[in-house]
Amino acid sequence: MPPADQYRRNWPLWLGTAFLLVTVGINVPQIYALDIPQGILPWLGLVVPAVAVACFVVGVRRAFAQPEIYRGRITGSILSLIALLLFVGSVWLFSHVRDVPPSSSAPKIGQKAPDFTLPNTSGQPVTLNALLSMPIDSSTGARPKAVLLVFYRGYW
Amino acid sequence: MAISVDPPSVSAGLIEKAGYTFPFLSDPKAEVIRRYDLLHPGGGPNGSDISRPAEFLVDSSGTVRWTNFTEDIRIRAKADQMLAAAKEIH
Repeated sequence: MPPADQYRRNWPLWLGTAFLLVTVGINVPQIYALDIPQGILPWLGLVVPAVAVACFVVGVRRAFAQPEIYRGRITGSILSLIALLLFVGSVWLFSHVRDVPPSSSAPKIGQKAPDFTLPNTSGQPVTLNALLSMPIDSSTGARPKAVLLVFYRGYW
Repeated sequence: MAISVDPPSVSAGLIEKAGYTFPFLSDPKAEVIRRYDLLHPGGGPNGSDISRPAEFLVDSSGTVRWTNFTEDIRIRAKADQMLAAAKEIH
């Protein structure tokens, strides 16, 4: 064992750890509500853990090849395994969240939205036509210019 | 207006918790969701059928003026996008 001052910093392990932490942060759902281009986030969710794995591979190989200079054989191996699991999980998640039906027969721009009747939270039936024609301001009798239909997955 | 397979009682709880001021409609049998071709079979917990996320702006004549179908369920239309679409309607 050489004295501690002869060790050199195994920086790929530190870099890998940083990317590992970013991977965790990027998967916090609230990040999608931030005012940033959302389209890039799913791809970052794949690339960042991949870079973490690559860093750990470099760092651990160093630690095993030159143990007299670089530390981190055990810690690096454990972190590599965690990074690999996170990467595999990220690939699975990436394909899972994009597994949405094509909805090729959904109403398109310029087409009529099919009318429907559904109960509101009081159990009262509500129709789309009624929502479109019902006054929204009782004092002026103003009717809505449009209605926004937001279909969501539910189970919130 | 929001539509999902959640029963009215669940939506009522959500409205109370989040303070939403727009109506929530319930389509537990996914009949309207199916009619709009938005069914995501087995997409919910325990393989239940749910709606995929989708947004439609319908003008007062009942015509669809703007739509949004996300490719990734984590990415949704933002409020400013929807407001911009609404401002196009006179």
